[in-house]
Formats: sequence, C-alpha cells, structure tokens
Amino acid sequence: MPILPKSLSGFTVIPIAYSRSTHYIYARAHVTSKSKASKPVNVLHEARTLFIVNVPPDATERELALLFKHCGTVERVLFDFNSADNTLVENAPDSDEEMCEDADAEEADTGTDAEARPRKKRKIHTSEPTPPEVISLPNQSLRILHKTGSCAHLIFLDASSLAKALSPSVSSKPLPWPSSEEPRGLSHYLAKYDAERPPLDTIRVHADSYMERFEFDLAKSKQEAKYRKGEAVVDEDGFTLVTRGGAYGQTLGGGVGVASKKFMLTGKTGSRKRKEKKQEKETFYAFQKAEKQRKGELKFFVVRMSVYGCVAILDLKRNFEADKQRVEKLKESRRFKPY
Amino acid sequence: MDMSESDRHGEGPLTGHELKDIKDAADLYQSGSFKLQIDALLPNVRPKESARQQLDRFLLSLRNHILSLPSITPQNPLTAAQTLAKQGVAVPFVHPLPSRDDKWKVAFEPPMEINIVGSWGNGIAVKKKNGGRFGVDLSVEMPHSLFQEKDYLDGRFFHKKSYYLAVLAQSISISFDVDTLYASPLGDPRLTTLNNNVADILAGSTSHDFSKSHADIYIIPILPSPNPLPPAKLSPSHSNVRIPSVLPSPSPIYNNAVLLSTYPKLALLSTHQLKHSSPAFHDAHTLLRVWANQRGYGDGELCVKGFEAKGSFWTGLLRLLVSGEEPVATKSGNAKLRRPLGKGLSSYQLFKAALDFLAKQKFGETPAFTKTVDGHKYPPEEYIAHHPAVFVDRTSTINFLSDVPLTSLDLLSHDAKETLEQLNNPGTSDDMFAECFLKSERGLFTRFDAVIGQVNLILTECILLTFCRVDLPQATLNQSALAVVEHGSPDAALLASVASILRRGLGDRTKAIAILQPGTPFRPISSAQSPSTSTVHIGLIYDLAHAFRLVDHGPSAENQDSSVAEEFRHLWGNRAELRRFKDGRIAESVVWEVATSDERAHIPVSIIRHLLQLHFGISAEHVRTLQTSFDSMLRLPDDVRRLHRAAGGYKAAVTAFDDIVRSLKALDEQLPLALLNVSPISEYLRYTSTFAPLPVPASTLMALPESLRFLPTIPIILEFEKSSKWPDDLKAIQKVKLAFFESIARSLMASKPGLKASVAIGDSSNPFQGLATLEIFTAEGWSFSASIWHDREATLLDRIIGSSKTLAPSDQEHSVREQREAKAARELYTRTFIHSPRHHRAITNLCHKYSAYSGTVRLVKRWLAVHWLLRSHVSEEAIEIICARPFVGGKQASTEDAATVPHSKERGFALVIEFLGDWKWEEPLFIPLYEDNTPAPAPEIVAVSAKQGVWTLSTAEDRTGRMWTSYGPDYVSAHRLRALAKEAIKIIQDAETDSDVKRLFSHSTDDYDVVIELNSAVLPRYYQNVNANSSVWSRSSHSGVVESTPRPGFDPLPLFLADLQSTFADTLKFFADPFGGDRIGAIWLPDLKVPRPFRALAGFSSEPLPKEDKAKDKELVVLNRQSVLDDIERLGSGLIKNIVTR
Repeated sequence: MPILPKSLSGFTVIPIAYSRSTHYIYARAHVTSKSKASKPVNVLHEARTLFIVNVPPDATERELALLFKHCGTVERVLFDFNSADNTLVENAPDSDEEMCEDADAEEADTGTDAEARPRKKRKIHTSEPTPPEVISLPNQSLRILHKTGSCAHLIFLDASSLAKALSPSVSSKPLPWPSSEEPRGLSHYLAKYDAERPPLDTIRVHADSYMERFEFDLAKSKQEAKYRKGEAVVDEDGFTLVTRGGAYGQTLGGGVGVASKKFMLTGKTGSRKRKEKKQEKETFYAFQKAEKQRKGELKFFVVRMSVYGCVAILDLKRNFEADKQRVEKLKESRRFKPY
Repeated sequence: MDMSESDRHGEGPLTGHELKDIKDAADLYQSGSFKLQIDALLPNVRPKESARQQLDRFLLSLRNHILSLPSITPQNPLTAAQTLAKQGVAVPFVHPLPSRDDKWKVAFEPPMEINIVGSWGNGIAVKKKNGGRFGVDLSVEMPHSLFQEKDYLDGRFFHKKSYYLAVLAQSISISFDVDTLYASPLGDPRLTTLNNNVADILAGSTSHDFSKSHADIYIIPILPSPNPLPPAKLSPSHSNVRIPSVLPSPSPIYNNAVLLSTYPKLALLSTHQLKHSSPAFHDAHTLLRVWANQRGYGDGELCVKGFEAKGSFWTGLLRLLVSGEEPVATKSGNAKLRRPLGKGLSSYQLFKAALDFLAKQKFGETPAFTKTVDGHKYPPEEYIAHHPAVFVDRTSTINFLSDVPLTSLDLLSHDAKETLEQLNNPGTSDDMFAECFLKSERGLFTRFDAVIGQVNLILTECILLTFCRVDLPQATLNQSALAVVEHGSPDAALLASVASILRRGLGDRTKAIAILQPGTPFRPISSAQSPSTSTVHIGLIYDLAHAFRLVDHGPSAENQDSSVAEEFRHLWGNRAELRRFKDGRIAESVVWEVATSDERAHIPVSIIRHLLQLHFGISAEHVRTLQTSFDSMLRLPDDVRRLHRAAGGYKAAVTAFDDIVRSLKALDEQLPLALLNVSPISEYLRYTSTFAPLPVPASTLMALPESLRFLPTIPIILEFEKSSKWPDDLKAIQKVKLAFFESIARSLMASKPGLKASVAIGDSSNPFQGLATLEIFTAEGWSFSASIWHDREATLLDRIIGSSKTLAPSDQEHSVREQREAKAARELYTRTFIHSPRHHRAITNLCHKYSAYSGTVRLVKRWLAVHWLLRSHVSEEAIEIICARPFVGGKQASTEDAATVPHSKERGFALVIEFLGDWKWEEPLFIPLYEDNTPAPAPEIVAVSAKQGVWTLSTAEDRTGRMWTSYGPDYVSAHRLRALAKEAIKIIQDAETDSDVKRLFSHSTDDYDVVIELNSAVLPRYYQNVNANSSVWSRSSHSGVVESTPRPGFDPLPLFLADLQSTFADTLKFFADPFGGDRIGAIWLPDLKVPRPFRALAGFSSEPLPKEDKAKDKELVVLNRQSVLDDIERLGSGLIKNIVTR
C-alpha cells in the first residue's frame, strides 16, 4: 500500500478503520475568522477547538468524543457550525436553550437594540412574575444524519488535547470507529416512529404550557407596546432609537419611527394613487391645437392603412414563410418518410 | 428570424399569385402548414421517375416474349397439368378441382393484348408499408378462342385461367433472370397472379435489372371484351357452382371473382378519366392510401382482413364521391342520394370527404352504388340480398366488398371517425399531421381495447374436417364444402364464418372487431396451393355503454317457436336459457356471471372464447389474452389476501372515510371550532393507488408476519370555521393545532370504542412547517391521518417571504435562513392544502367519467414502481396527470365516447407508455384536467436546471406546471424513463404470452453501480413486491417479535431511501421500488470520478491520493467509495443484507 500523506493542506489526516475500508477524517486547529470573532456569542475557543472535516454521516457527539478519548476529554461537539450561523442554537437539545431561542425571537420581533435590552429586561423581571416554563415534548436520543463529507467542531476541555489530536504520529494503526448506544438502521426508524407519536397527555401538557408562555409573552409585549407607543427611546448616551415601519412612520414597538423604504424611494405611501396633475395644458395656443389635430389625423390614416392592408397581408405572408421554414426543418429531419 | 425573412423576401408588395397561394392554403387545407406538410409528404410515397426506364425496357421485352409464345393444343386439364408439373410448374387450380372425366379442355394461345393497368398504369401508385414494392399490374388478355359459353360454371373459367398463368410462369421463369412466383391475395386461388421481381441478390447482375424502380410486376390474365361468358349468368343471385346432393344456392362471391377478370381494363379507363376531370384526385388518392396503409388496410405484417390487394376499392371510393350515386329504387325511395362533389375541391378536402363517407357509411345496411354510364346491369336488390356489404363500382358489375367481412368495415369506419375527430378539432392532438399520416397505427395494444393474440386456425381446420366426419349431418358437411368453394379456400370460408359469428355474438358491445392476419406470402410456382394462414389476431374496440353488460337478452318466450329464438339458441349453445326477469318478461337470455370487477372487464373476451369453442372447437386456452397477466400486476398474491383476511376495495375505503367524517362532525360540541369540511387527498380514495386499499384490524395486524404488516394511511384534510382566536404567530399556530388534535383524539376515542387515535408530531427542522397529524386507526382497520388547514398560515408565511424584497440586507427583520424555511413551508402549504384537494377532485371526476382511467393509472404506477422511478423520482400526482392525456386529449376536453378514448386499462397503459417514450419533455405539456372551457394560454416555460425536475405539466389550475414535478424527475431519471418506455413499447408490440408481461414488469439491475440488497423479511411492504416470494412470510411468521402496538403506515424503505438521498445527494443517485422493493440501486455521480484538490467543504467522503509527484504541490483527494458503502451499510443496519458493486 502506498504511503498516504500525513497531512493535507494543513489538515492532519486521521485514518479510521471501517469494517471493510478506511475512512479519513481531516483535522485542524480551529481558527476564528475575523467576522466571526466579533460575534457576541462565540462558543468556539480557539485554543481548544478542533476543526474536523469528513465526519461520518451518522456520527453522534458521543462517538466523536470516544474517538478522541485518547487525546483528552471532549467538552462539546458542534456539527455543521459553518453552514448556517444559527444552527448552533437550533440543535441544542435542552429546553433552556429552546427558551432562549424563543426569547430571542421575541426580541427580534420587537426589534429593540441589543445593548439597551439587558437593563430593561432586568427591570421587567423584577417587577413582573417569571414567565411560565414550556414543558417540551420528550426528546429521545436519535441519530441526526449529516450530509456526507460534512464538518464539525470539537471543543476539548483542555488545550493540551488539541495538540495531541493533531500530532501526526498518534498511532500507526487506524483507529476503529466507535459506536454509541443510539439505534441505527431499522431500529432507528422504529424508534423514530414511536418517538413521533408521544402519549396524548404529554402533547396536551406541551401545547398548553407553550400557549401559556406565548400568551404571557404576548401580553408582555402588548403592555410594553402600549406603554411606549410613540415615545422616543433614548439610551444612556443620549442616542434616540430610530426604527422603520408602520403607517405614517409610527411603530407600535416604541422608538421613533421613520417612513418605510418604499416611501423613501418613491415618495408614495401605501397603495393610494394620487392623480398626477398635468404639468401644462397642451392645447393652450391655437397653433398647438392645430398641430395636434393634424397629427391625430395622420395617425388615424396610417392606422387605417395598416389594419386593412399592409399589416394583414404582411402578417399573412410572414406566417406562411414561418410555416414554410418549420416544414423545411422537419423535412431535414427526414420526418416525411411515413414508412 | 423575422428580420432575415423580411430581408430575403423584401418588403415589396406581394404578387397576386403568391397571395392566392397563401390564401388557398389557409382556406382549402387545414392550415398553411398542413398544406406545406402534405406537399412535403407526397413525393416521398410516389415512384421516382428516374428509375422508370429500366422497368419499361423490361416490360417491353416481356411483352414481346409473351406475344411470341407458341400455342398449346387443347387437352384435358389434368393431363396438361401433368406436362407442366414435369417442368416444375404447378397449375394453381381452384376448388372444386377438375377431374379426369371432364369434357372441357385447357389450351394456350398468345394473348390478344398486353396492357399496363392498375395504379401504375394510371400513374397513381403509392408506396407500400414496410418497404413493400410498387405493384405494376400487367393485364394479359386471353383470346376468345380459349373459352366456351359454359365456362362460368364450376370454376371452369378459373381452371383455364390458372392453366394459362402456369404456362406463362413456366416460360417466363426459364427465359428471364427474374424470380417468378404465384401470388394469391387473401389466400384466394381465384385471384392468383404471377409475380415477377428481381431478388435483391440478383440485382445488378442480370440483364433485366429493374430493381432500382422498386417494383413487382404482376401478370393478370383477363377476359377479353366482349365477354365470352354470358354476363347475365353472373349476377349475384345465380348459382354457378354445383356440388352433388346439395341444393344449388347463389354464389355471389364466386360470380364476383369471375367478373373481376373483366375489370382491369375498364378501371384503367375510368380512373384515367377521373384523374383528368378532377385535378385533386391524384393527391387525394395518395393521401388516402397513405392513411390506409398506416392503419393496416393493405399489405404487411398484420393487415385488416379483406383489404389485401384492394387498390381498386380506394379509387372506387373517390370515384363514388366525385361522380355521385346511382339511384336505387327501394321501398324507402331514393331520396337520400349522395350528391357528387365539386371537381374544384382540394386534395385535402377530397380526402376528408372520403373519410367522412367511410365514417358514416354502413355498407352492410345502406348499399352504395356508384353512378353508372348506362344504368344498373344487375338489379340492385340482388346485391343487397346476396352480399353482406355492398359497394358497387361504376361498371355496375363489381362489388368491391364481396369478400370483405363486416367486422373490417366497422373498423374502417371507426378509424375514419377517429381521424375526422382529430381533423375537425384542431388542437386535440399536438401534431395532427403526424397522427394522421406519419404515425403507424398498427400497434395492437395501443389500438384495441382487447387483443386476442394468435388464434390458431390450423387446429380448427383439422377440427372442421373431423367434425364433419364424426356426427354432423351430411347436409352440414356439404354446406361447408359449398362455403369453401364460394370463398375460394377453407381458410377464407372459416374466417368469414368466424367474423360473422363474433359480430353477432358481441353485437353492440364492440364498436369494431378487427380480424388481422399477415399478408399472404408469395409462393414458388411449383406449389399449387396457397400456404394456409395459420394464425389471426383479433382486436376489439369496446363500446363503453354496452361492453360489460351482464346479460344478453334474446327474443321473448312468446315467439318461442319462431326462427329468431332458434337462431339465438344456435348462436349461444348451452349458454342460452329461458329466464324470467324482474319486470315479468320471460325471454331467452345469456347471463355472464362475474365475481370481481376484473372479471367483468373480461366479459367480451369470454364471449369470444365461448363462441370460438362452441362453433369452431377452439379450446379456451388457445384463445389467449394478456388481460389476466395485467390484472395480476395489480393484485396481491392469493395467500397474502388470505392472511390479511380482509375485503378491501375503493368503495369500502370511501365508506370508511365517510364514517370518519360523520364521527368527526358528531364531535361538534366537544371541539372549540366547528368542523366545516373534510377533504380527501389520497390516491386510495380516488381509485388510483396501484393496490386497492385494505383494512387490517389491529389484532390481525399484530398476528401477521413482519413482511405483511404494511397498512397504508390515508391522508385527509380538516377545515374548521374561521375564527379570530387563532394566534397570529406561525409557531404558536402549530402548537394550537397540536392541542386541537389532542382534544379530537380524546373525544373520538371516547365516542367510538375500538378506535385508536394518536398525534404524530412529525419531524421537521423547519419551525414554520406543521407536520403534525392526527392518526386515526379505526376498529375495522382503516388508518387515516388528518391535518388541519388554516389559511392564515399562508399570509404569515408570505409576510416573511415578502419582507426582504424592498429592504437592504442590513436591516432585515428575518434572516436568510428563516426566509428559506418560510419558502419551503409555503410550498408545502400550497401543495398540501390548495392543490392536493383540487387535484383529488379532478382525478375522482376522471375516474367516474372514464372507466378505464383508474386501471390505466394503476398499471402505469406499477410499471414505474417496478422500474424504480415512482415516488422518489416521479410523483404520483404527476403520473395521474399524464395518464389523463389519452382520455382528455391534448388541448380540448373531449367527450366520453370519442373514438380515441381507450376503454380498457391495457390500452390506456400502452398509450401512456408510448407517450412517455415519444414525449419531448423539453416542451411543456398542457392537460385539460379541470373542466373549464376557457381557452388556455400557452404554459409559461420555466427555465429549469438539470438538478431539478425537468417536466412541465401544466393544467388550468397550475399554469406554471411545476407543482408536482419541481423535485423530479431530473435530467438523468427523465432520460432513463424515456429509454425504459421505448423498450417497453417494443415489448408490448409483440407481446403474446404472460412471460412478455412479466418481462415488461421486470427491471434489469445491470445499469446500477451499486445494488443494495435488503432483508425482505423485515420490510412490512414486501408482500407488494412484483416477484414476492411467499416463503419470506411463511418462514418468518413465527420468528417475528410479537409487539403490542401496531404501526400503521410504517415503511422503513422510503425513510431509509430519503435519508440516503439527502445524505449522499452529491455522491450517489438512488432508485428503488416503493411497492415492496427489496433492493436499492445507486449510481455514482459522474463529476466525482476524477481526483480533485482538497477542500474542507467538498461535500463528499474522500481519501487522500498518495503523492507520486513531489513537484506537484496540489494535494488531491478522490472519492472514497468503499468507505461510503460502509457508511451506507452502517446507516441501514438491520435492513441491509448485502451490498453488491459492479
């Protein structure tokens, strides 16, 4: 067997023994790109995050942790982190995160400034009862398949593990692919079928609690909206928040509204059509009147001509020629040999 | 294009001539382009002028040779035949054969005159089908001296003619380097001619090479004029054949055959006159012949019985139209005379007039007499009384149809109707001209509703003879001997009788019965008898209103003793019985017992079986159809049905659905909103699922082995009254739906004992998509899954989708991902809640309107499934739309009894498959699925990439035509489908036996790079597999783990397939049979075959290439195939048995 390169474009090649073949995972220390670094929630610590490519499609967090056990303890695995920026939150399993997400969504809807938010929130939290908790549906641990050749971020507990994982001479033999207890294949589909049909009680509890929470959030935002309608939101530094939306540039959410983009571009609001006034009368002077009349007559004449004569005949001919060409084309394709 | 056009032709005024041409084309022809196409077609089917010279040279030397032949003195016919036999030439004597004691003698004298007659003589020859050569008819006028007045009796004229022909044959065969053969059209020895042609091997090497002219020379001995035989003795009512001990009966066919020998010269003259008086005649004749040849009226492999060598029929037809009818004084008077057509008609108009005549004329009931020069020669009543069909020529002596069975005329009239329908409604078919002239309509299965393949007549002939020997009265024997003499040969007599009995037996059940047989082959001049036509094919075209009638009523008991009842009993044999009907009548009748709807569809064929058995002793197993083998494709194996212990069916499913609706509506008080509507959206409720729906109660289901457990769930849609209480948030709406489902489930279970209801939350990463459904499993074993339609969702989704358009990305309210998700959710919403119910209604209507539609869809779905394309590549709705095409036509809605509409699922299937093979899906297809008559605008053409679906199926409700085809078939699978359809249509064309149908429904796995074999014992749907092996479920019946909960609708194959498809979308393409397939095929995508530089987000599983060349710094990787297969094997553990690679 020819010797395979130990590294490839800066990636360490980690062979994995499959039952009949060798799978290759490519690993590299994670480098935070400039744009991502500024993100408020950066969970990828540069020093202890391993970026791996070509993860097996059915890999679970546990399996990857087991694979890299010899390097150290794995704190967390994030799949497909790069593909969409929000996937992280989406895939997080526990209900706390889900609530976070919901709260985020609310925030996004109201559109308030992120920096102004914590202070306000704290204030509300102190004055109002805590929101009811959403009881989530039972979440059985099922495998989530990834596209083949996808990547993942592996966060070690300790920075030293990273170096260990990347050192090319880890072992001469390919590591075997570990297996976790989540079902695969037929049993996976059976488990999934059952998991998708939870008992009715759980569904009721989930739906009720969600709606309770939803009502709570709605009431809260309504209250806020009423309270702050049309009022300028001024932050500590004295900046006034300006938002877009609403009729007449007003927003329900608060802040100072500006007109919609459409208004700014066209100068028209909504769909109401204003009659455009004529700039100037066209037939004010006598000579204008005469000219217009002449033009009209001429036009009329030409129209008559064309309708009854030239155009009809020319159309006829054009159609005929087009047909002819089409048939010629068909002829070339030897179509007219019936048998 | 327009520009270049105007450049070339200039903007100058049109000349008057040009203008007239253009106007004529539009007025006198279908359309301008139709005229141009006709002009392009005509030269291709006519003989080329260039090759004539050689032929003329040969004809001249042939003429000189024949004229210089020495005379042969009169001698006894058998002695003369013996002399010739020594030289290797047989005399093709006719029945009854001459005997030693005959007083009359045969002789030979050189002919008086030799002429080129027929279509070649008139210069109107038309090319034959399948490379058949032009026929050059050479009439050889036998001298008067050879004949006596009495020669019209007992075939003496034919014997003399045969001898004359044999002498010519002998002399030509030794003098010229040409093949000399006997030709007996229709197997009738009385019409034998001598065929001379240059065999292809000899071409070029002989001195008389006329092969370039592509012609056969037929030598036809004719009677001299004036006729030496007394014409008065040859009228249809005269009996001119005597058989000892049989009462003489009229011999009209025989008489007609004698008179045909006077015809060629007369026809030549009158056709010549016609050609010159009516300028369009030549072109119209050519069109008519091309049309007829395409439909099998002429020579070729399978042609319609009776139309072989009937060239004169077509000229006669046009002559009738141009010159009008001769008045016939009948009881009803002669009011309805056909008026002669104007001579200024265009060729197309004349052609259409001919079709119109054929479509309307029933030769059997209303005789047609062409205008004569000097009145009727024979009384018209005689023709009417003695010929089944009457179409008399201008000479008033020839009936063109004397030996054409009425069944063939029915078919001719049906075909003419079909073509007229197309021509009169421009737009019913996409390419009228091609349908009319260019497309061969000879495919048995695409043309007939039922096909009975290869009825073997050799068998019957023996039986005919034996049955004469056994116990039939002498009279019958002689009667059949007489029939043989009258029809010319035993085959012809038998076929004539088969045709008339079948026609009587089937009655109004069929619009036409086609008896098709191969053209009679030429035979060497050493053999006297024409080879027997061993087999015929019978095709039926049903009349939907009557075809599947259960009872055939005969005469009532009151006129018991009349001959009518006797005839009825004779026709049906022991099937005829006296019955008392509900209304008190007592009548002779035949009752056809059926148990299933499948059997009901077989009634016409079983009638044929019965009649052939009864009258001709052909046992039922020799009357083969493929109906049962097609039926078996849609039925589960018997032991499966026994194990399921359930009587399913569409009616039962619809009843179960109605029950569910009723019990849901009964819950009214317990639900927060009133239930307005429940719409079915399932193929199981619109008669188009491949397998009829089947209820399996929970208890039975759990006792079944794993491979029989699949129970389909039937999707339905619930629509509640509008309410403002719904939250205005998409995610919350989904949760409210959950709550709804929960409460419905509870109250439903409380109200209906035995019913199980559960909520399936569905699995979607898309928060906007509500996949949750309410699953209802009734006590009888029906499984439904209901979703709730809430129209506010659409608005909310649109708001998210629309929000980005005017805003800059920086201040977007919704992220790109949200918008993508919203779009996907909106698409699903539109499909499920808007289009599915509409589609369902339209398809249900079609099923009610066209009885064969449902079976057609089911067969086509089965076929696609077997070829691993259904569902994962071609959606079921798309197939339902395509299958509607043969029924509703291309552009306008056609009526139920239009001639083109198939009335059996086999024909519908063949038509759809043929269409799939020919369809250029690069162009959009419009199907008038919905019943609105607004003219449809041309479907918008949407640019599609090769990765998406490439079909555009536009309907009135879906103008863009992408609703059901946006995900597939893509370029690869559409091509694959086309190739498979082309292959299938070839199999269908020569399908004869069950194994052919099996072949049609078996898939070759040779094309796949990888075949994943699954463990069939764990597949709950395995029992639907086309080659299901019963040992799988009988073996595993006890080893299966007994579980407590049934899983209706559970089928791991599509789940696994979808996982594979999404996981390896850029690596492999997967195919599988959704109906119990136990294999998955895959092909590697071609763009991953070569090594490529390493990228982190390449999207495929790679392995590094060993570095060979240090100089290259590009680090290449290549697809790691084996590891991908190992991945697949791991993903499908428990399902996969084996992975085979090629």
